[in-house]
Amino acid sequence: MSAPDNLLEVTGLKKYFPIYRGILSRHVGDVKAVDGIDFTLGRQETLSVVGESGCGKTTAGRSLLRLLTPTAGEALYRPEPGAPQVNLFGLSERKMRALRRDLQIIFQDPYGSLNPRITVGNAIGEALSVHGIAQGSELEDRVSELLRLVGLRPDVANRFPHEFSGGQRQRVGIARALTLRPKLIVCDEAVSALDVSIQAQVLNLLGDLQEEFGLSYIFIAHDLSVVKYISDRVAVMYLGRIVETGTVEQIFENPQHPYTKALLAAIPVPDPARRSQRVHLEGDVPSPISPPSGCHFHTRCPVAEERCSRETPAMQACEEGHHAACFLAEVCSST
Amino acid sequence: MTDPSQSPATSSNGSKPLLELRELKTHFRVDEGLAKAVDGVSYSLREGETLGVVGESGCGKSVTALSVMGLVPMPPGLNAGGEILFRGENLLLRSEEQMRAIRGNEIAMIFQEPMTALNPVYTVGNQIMETVMLHQGMDAAAAREHAIGMLEKVGIPSPLSRVDEYPHQLSGGMRQRVMIAIAMSCNPSLLIADEPTTALDVTIQAQILDLIADLQKAEGMSVLLITHDLGVVAQTAHHVAVMYAGKVVEYATVGELFSNPRHPYSIGLFRSLPDLAGAGERLETIPGMVPSATHFPSGCRFRTRCSIATDLCASQVPSLDPMDGTAGHTVACHHLEEAEKL
Repeated sequence: MSAPDNLLEVTGLKKYFPIYRGILSRHVGDVKAVDGIDFTLGRQETLSVVGESGCGKTTAGRSLLRLLTPTAGEALYRPEPGAPQVNLFGLSERKMRALRRDLQIIFQDPYGSLNPRITVGNAIGEALSVHGIAQGSELEDRVSELLRLVGLRPDVANRFPHEFSGGQRQRVGIARALTLRPKLIVCDEAVSALDVSIQAQVLNLLGDLQEEFGLSYIFIAHDLSVVKYISDRVAVMYLGRIVETGTVEQIFENPQHPYTKALLAAIPVPDPARRSQRVHLEGDVPSPISPPSGCHFHTRCPVAEERCSRETPAMQACEEGHHAACFLAEVCSST
Repeated sequence: MTDPSQSPATSSNGSKPLLELRELKTHFRVDEGLAKAVDGVSYSLREGETLGVVGESGCGKSVTALSVMGLVPMPPGLNAGGEILFRGENLLLRSEEQMRAIRGNEIAMIFQEPMTALNPVYTVGNQIMETVMLHQGMDAAAAREHAIGMLEKVGIPSPLSRVDEYPHQLSGGMRQRVMIAIAMSCNPSLLIADEPTTALDVTIQAQILDLIADLQKAEGMSVLLITHDLGVVAQTAHHVAVMYAGKVVEYATVGELFSNPRHPYSIGLFRSLPDLAGAGERLETIPGMVPSATHFPSGCRFRTRCSIATDLCASQVPSLDPMDGTAGHTVACHHLEEAEKL
């Protein structure tokens, strides 16, 4: 798994949110939003993190960029191939701020993530002046260039966010993330709020930009058809843990974990000739405050055995690059 | 649920329309002028069937549904014409009092966001009881029994204790089940479901769609399903109406529409679906964006984004005409032959 020029290698990432109760605010437990996940990200690669609400995918993305302080773990980042690795979680605030140029994020809600009182030109240019990269007319030129890059006319720089449609705002969000020539962009449900024809425009734009600037994406999403389209590799999360990782083909053609299978079976296929006689998962996702013992999925799993409620299955290889955390996965059977 | 390949046959087998919209127009007076949110919408829904209404944000699909329910606030809304025929009678001519007797009784509706549609200060039991006490004159004890039965019917575990819980104690999927229980309480003949699963996770969405289909089969009601998700439509609807900028641009059986879309907008919509494109291939997109409801283009409203538009499209509004040879498939386009080559 550890290639010498990987952009990022994350091990044991945990993010717990403590719960305090009573007058003395005693620490009574934790919401284990992310409970020890490992993944790697290559250069110019797109890794999608998928799962249902509350599985910890957004928390994982934000902890990685230290927008939330991780509870434990290590994220080794290698800016250039061959350069020494730095642990993002061990850096001082000051050093981290310098590295933030490389690490950007695009949020889901383009309505909530832009300040309504700041023109989009200033919103995009802000980072350039904060980092002392460009000022005055040079800054304006850079902003125009960025707007053109994301398919907006440069003269919109003086407009305010409310004058834009959802798709255009998301383009502004992308331009903003690109300002500092990052190497990694975390796309947190970046196209979920968009209509399908606009979503396609934005997905194409993300693909073009990846090629042009050699970007790596961590694409956090719940829409599996979008994930299938955009990803190189996929990590499936359930209640704070990664239950399966693999290439997009491995996950979609040969899923091993019962949760991945259920997730795929639940997608409504846009083809009336393929109305499925699917078996659907029963029940809801359990609370991450008191997740089930053993394998977190055993309460909803159609094939769970007795030991699934006692032991936690470890990740094991099914094929090259394909890992699943299930006792019943066909280990090495398909190679 | 009927197999979609059979639906053209079953639908032509004499089942009559339960709901028929004729040139419905619902406009809004806004600061910028007159927003023609729904501007001449016609479609019909037969008994026991599901009609999917698809389109992007702002195409008027939800306002159409609210008009059927008589829930459009007036002002700023106004009826600018058309008819809503429910069992042959025009709902637009009914008084508010008469509509109140129909709403929640004959026609029920479920909404996208169950947390905002449910009242947070009443127990879910109370909210189900309210419907049957009002419409069917049940006393409180019978209504409570009924509420427990409905919760069981929509698949809520331990209904005896859940009946006294408040909406915030339930998960999103459970809340949507409660909404369905309220809607189904009076055995409506028409259920309007406005994006019923959009706020839900995919595994929960599948459960809710199954539930609606099972209830439909058991009770024989018709469903008007409003959604932007073509996958959901393909899995559940018999007929589909594609809306764009306040108008229906194409109407067909689900099998016909998905295998043979004819309007350039429908074609574009299908091509921009990531699922159908091979991985790594560029997605086809529809250039531009949906025009504002106060400033729709003249003639065909899609022409500003259409690759085959001509001068004719700017000057004349295309009517929704039947296509030759395919029963019940109607399209509003001046250039069907060119569209076929798209």
